[in-house]
Amino acid sequence: MINLKNADPDFKWEIIKKEGGEGLLKCFGCSDCAASCPVRYFDDRYNPRKIIRLTLLGIKDQVLSSPFLWLCAHCHACTERCPQGIIVAEVINAIKNYAVEQGYCPEGYKVQLDLLRKMGRLYEVEDFDLKKRQKLGLPPIDKTIPEVKKILEYTNIATRVHSKNAHVNPKSEALNSKQIKITKTQNSKQESSPDQKMEKK
Amino acid sequence: MKKYALFLGCTVPIRAQHYELSARNTAKELDIEFAEMSGASCCGFPMKAVDAGTALLIAARNISIASKMNLNIITLCNSCTAMLSDAQLELKKNSFYKKFKELGFSYPHEIAVKHFVRMLYEDIGIEKIKASVKKPLTSLKVAAHYGCHYMRPSYLYGFDNPEIPHTFDELINATGAQSIDYHDKKMCCGGSVLGIDENLAITMANHKLNIAKDSQADALVSICPFCTVMYEDNQRKAEAKFETQYGLPVLYYPQLMGLSFGFDNNAVGIRFNRVRPNALLEKIGGQS
Ligand code: SF4
Ligand code: SF4
Repeated sequence: MINLKNADPDFKWEIIKKEGGEGLLKCFGCSDCAASCPVRYFDDRYNPRKIIRLTLLGIKDQVLSSPFLWLCAHCHACTERCPQGIIVAEVINAIKNYAVEQGYCPEGYKVQLDLLRKMGRLYEVEDFDLKKRQKLGLPPIDKTIPEVKKILEYTNIATRVHSKNAHVNPKSEALNSKQIKITKTQNSKQESSPDQKMEKK
Repeated sequence: MKKYALFLGCTVPIRAQHYELSARNTAKELDIEFAEMSGASCCGFPMKAVDAGTALLIAARNISIASKMNLNIITLCNSCTAMLSDAQLELKKNSFYKKFKELGFSYPHEIAVKHFVRMLYEDIGIEKIKASVKKPLTSLKVAAHYGCHYMRPSYLYGFDNPEIPHTFDELINATGAQSIDYHDKKMCCGGSVLGIDENLAITMANHKLNIAKDSQADALVSICPFCTVMYEDNQRKAEAKFETQYGLPVLYYPQLMGLSFGFDNNAVGIRFNRVRPNALLEKIGGQS
């Protein structure tokens, strides 16, 4: 049940201010994004249209604390089909960015942030790797790129992610997705996949 | 001779050396020269969900390196392609450019960003690739996996048809192999949600493994290290979860192209393929 009593009418403007959030107001709720979404195809707890709708209505806490927000794969299938020309994947990303600011950041991203700050890349380059590359005739690569740390300090991202008012890790129990449809092991030609839905249109 | 700056990103130089190796070796055969981007970092994509502004600055700094070399960038990873292309667009905005300058970066020459495969299609051309094929792979049927960020979002790329892509299929066909038509070709590999919900990610990867196997493909052909992680490294997990057996090799496109150029297994790094493509190699009459 949506409780409009606690709705925050400013929430949508906070999102529109963010990088990528600009198109939010143009949504007229047609659900084409949800129909073309591969994540939704497998797991109907995720629905881009619903996230956008709740954001427009100002149901802030529910949107920001939902672990499902993080299921968006940023694949842009929705972007290609939104009849309003909204860059839907970027709007969802802007909501994720805002959620991080409000203290909701999945642990995995915090780990990645620390790796980038330390090395400027996600994987440590060990001597073993460099030797292996040399053996294969591949050129050497930099072990660390300290300038990335400079960028992270400039945008002050670490402070936001590790803020004291950080909420529980959104990768909660709820995400242990037992409910995922597993009907797809059979050849699913009869099922209406996101690809087919639009082909029929 | 065409010259580009090669952007490797995080995953390829450490976890997918066979992709890099085969890309470099096939490029040489096609008179392409790659310059190294000294000081290049992660593309920035992993930080996008946390803070797009930070991710864009990391990406723009990488662009700055190639811009100073006055060379267009070639990428091997779909996500790197999207992230760098996004930053390239962003550099045209005053507010972003100001921050970029404040950090001491510069963008002296306007440069382009292209995925290796797009470069082959647009700058080298199918005909030149066909002309380099010494051992047409006519016995092979393979499933092309484009991956999301090869042609989407179309507002960034303006390349290929985002709904019915065809460029990669054409490049596969150029090697003599047959790129099969199959159901849900554009399905996402699930890689982006692997760290959030493994169960869902594996379910997504399984979808295509199942269809490709069903269509009797000899291999899935990938052009992105993330997609390969999902289809090859996690194939066992999909098999266990769905109680089935795929044994479906996953080749990088330049590996396939290299085999058609008559390269031996070492030149395309076959021994690094985690799902052994022995049956495929036998089919094309090579050593397995
Ligand atoms: S496709 Fe566009 S207009 Fe339709 S519901 Fe989704 S975001 Fe809104
Ligand atoms: S970008 Fe996100 S919301 Fe859009 S189709 Fe892909 S997974 Fe669904």
